Amino acid sequence: MLFNSLEFFIFLPIVFTLYWFVFGKNLKFQNFLIVFASYVFYGWWDWRFLSLIIFSSFLDYGIGVLLNSEKRPKRRKLLLWTSISVNIGFLGFFKYYNFFVESFIASFTFFGSTISAGTLNIILPVGISFYTFQTLSYTIDVYNKRLEPTKDIISFFAFVSFFPQLVAGPIERATNLLPQFYKKREFHYANAVDGMRQMIWGLFKKVVIADNCAKYANTIFNNSNDYSGSTLFLGALLFAFQIYGDFSGYSDIAIGISRFFGFDLKQNFAFPYFSRDIAEFWRRWHISLSTWFRDYIYIPLGGSRGSLNKKIRNVFIIFLVSGFWHGANWTFIVWGGLNALYFLPLLLAKKNRVNTDVVAQNKLLPNFREIVQMAFTFFITTVAWVFFRADSVSHAFRYLLDMFNSSLFSKPVILPYTVLFLVSVFLGIEWLGRHDQHALERIDFMKKPMRWSFYMLLIMLMFLFTGEEQAFIYFQF
Amino acid sequence: MKKFLKNIFPLLLITIVVGEVVVRLTHAVADLPQRTIDGHGVQKYLPNQEGYWKGGEHNWTINKFGWPGKLPQSYDNLIMVIGDSFIENFMNPNECHQSVFLKENMKDYNFMEAGRSGVSLIEALEISKQFDSLKPIQFLIYVNDEDFYESISQIKPMDDITQLNIDTNTIEYGKMKTPGLKKILYAWKLMYYLYNRFPLTNLSNIDEKPEVSSKDTNNKELEFQPELTQLMAYIKCNYTINNKTLVFHPDSSKSIIAICQAAGFNIIFLDSNNDETWVFDYDSHWTCYGHKRAAEQISEQLPSILNNSEQLN
Repeated sequence: MLFNSLEFFIFLPIVFTLYWFVFGKNLKFQNFLIVFASYVFYGWWDWRFLSLIIFSSFLDYGIGVLLNSEKRPKRRKLLLWTSISVNIGFLGFFKYYNFFVESFIASFTFFGSTISAGTLNIILPVGISFYTFQTLSYTIDVYNKRLEPTKDIISFFAFVSFFPQLVAGPIERATNLLPQFYKKREFHYANAVDGMRQMIWGLFKKVVIADNCAKYANTIFNNSNDYSGSTLFLGALLFAFQIYGDFSGYSDIAIGISRFFGFDLKQNFAFPYFSRDIAEFWRRWHISLSTWFRDYIYIPLGGSRGSLNKKIRNVFIIFLVSGFWHGANWTFIVWGGLNALYFLPLLLAKKNRVNTDVVAQNKLLPNFREIVQMAFTFFITTVAWVFFRADSVSHAFRYLLDMFNSSLFSKPVILPYTVLFLVSVFLGIEWLGRHDQHALERIDFMKKPMRWSFYMLLIMLMFLFTGEEQAFIYFQF
Repeated sequence: MKKFLKNIFPLLLITIVVGEVVVRLTHAVADLPQRTIDGHGVQKYLPNQEGYWKGGEHNWTINKFGWPGKLPQSYDNLIMVIGDSFIENFMNPNECHQSVFLKENMKDYNFMEAGRSGVSLIEALEISKQFDSLKPIQFLIYVNDEDFYESISQIKPMDDITQLNIDTNTIEYGKMKTPGLKKILYAWKLMYYLYNRFPLTNLSNIDEKPEVSSKDTNNKELEFQPELTQLMAYIKCNYTINNKTLVFHPDSSKSIIAICQAAGFNIIFLDSNNDETWVFDYDSHWTCYGHKRAAEQISEQLPSILNNSEQLN
């Protein structure tokens, strides 16, 4: 089920009503309803793949319980690796099997031999990368004794399948989300209203910004041979806003909906396009995934400690794995590698934690230096997005070569003024809200009629400028 | 909670009202004419309606007979144009209708249209009966392969269009599909807009209908040949054929064309190869250009058919 679908607009009020008005007094029933609703939400796409979630949930619940009673380190390690192998095994099979077979064949072909091996027609279960990482975080935290394993199986199943964030994140940690299922939830007016605002803003990002940018970005990327450098640059720029609007929009909707049900999810995007360097960008982009990699891979590998070689190795591992997480294609791996190359100089010069505050803190406008820094960071990020969006690595290189030639300074053939205007307004609002969890958090300063008019304006823009695309990009990851 | 609900309901209500106004003012969805079923079981439109197509760039009209398009100035030398959504043609302005282009090319004749989306061949023939009183000299019936399969309830059962039951050799007239809901949906433009924009993907297509593969332009063995032969036999017995010309869409099945020719139909076969595209980017219907080109090809072939018919009479 998509957030931007009519069925979801029917589904949500039904679940909300049952949750608060029918099962409001019984925590267990509320949790059970969440599990049931989440399975309906997921099964709407393909009920067969529910078995994977249920299996993963049983496995990690069981391993959590066993880890608690098991004191022998070797046995504990075996249990941990069972969970990791099975979860990563599912992910590897459904997401990466064909990639590995094809790459294997290609490498043999490269060296002059021909082998044949069959690829499979595998459907990628929606959200598998997200819920796999979520359940893994639980097992690893229990193993490391950072978390008491739960004995409440319904809460655990609800934690794994919680429908607002099941298919495209944020990837919640068990330490944050699971305890919320144990406590009686209260309906707080302020939380629900703020959740509503965040949801509207997320829908606006998706339906107006991402879908409209997608229309032009797709045309330009799909016919990149036909366009001048300036048009290709515009295509890359529009894709940068498409992916941001799409993904952060989804996170905003997920967080907003969770607040209706009395849950607090972690912020997943903290206005990343206002970053002054690439390290800051990665602290602000897809925070739940970046911190997952940081805590479960980067730090166990030694992080930024140790020899120079080790530091470089760790940075490359983290970014390449991150790229590979996004998809079974060399384009994502190159995208990860490129970001590692961007990040490395900052780390080696020990300047990766220079910009930890909000840009132009407590000021309306940034200074010249900040503008240049933000523009440069955005520019290199956009260049990297070309690899993310291109069909193949060669397509990406061709795209960039065609982009960086003399025609870069000509007038673009495609100039969607309305979309560019909408993106500018969107950036303006995001800029004003950059200190907060989401752009509309402090809209309370407006009087009610003004505030409602503003909501109305956003909703009407959704009606009027609704784009062609519908599915969220990150569903495929 | 009370406070939340007290705020959310008025906000929703205002959103609905403002949304309705915006959708109507901007013509975000096309106006849809209301349908009715006449005394002969034929589904058509309520007469004398008018509305805007999506975006409001042009409007459509339903004439006094309940069919889209304008009526001819005279009914002398009348040629009827019957077909499905291609003839209904809401997506193009009135000047881009087949009858207009045909009249431009064949000034001695008058053309009148009767089109409705979803019309099958058998339904088109049923519609043709209604115009006998106007004494048309020829009927142009625009068809594609699907119109043949959709004419037979045993191949593709569809409640909302007229079909032939080949087991009982009887016509089963189409029924209006959820007329009440449609009435609400078409009147409540915001809801119709949302319904179009965010379709209920998994709720539709619940009925498993057999897939019909009809792309056999290279004279491969035709699927459902016995059923189509039965259809033709029924048509020959129950309708006048010599004043009917079947206008086949480009890339129609040659086997089906051969069956129709053998049954005695006049045939015009349209060809869009080696030409600019005839269809919209996001819609499989003909653009104004497509209609013009189709009418040009028909105008070239129709005179000889009319001459032959005159000689026969």
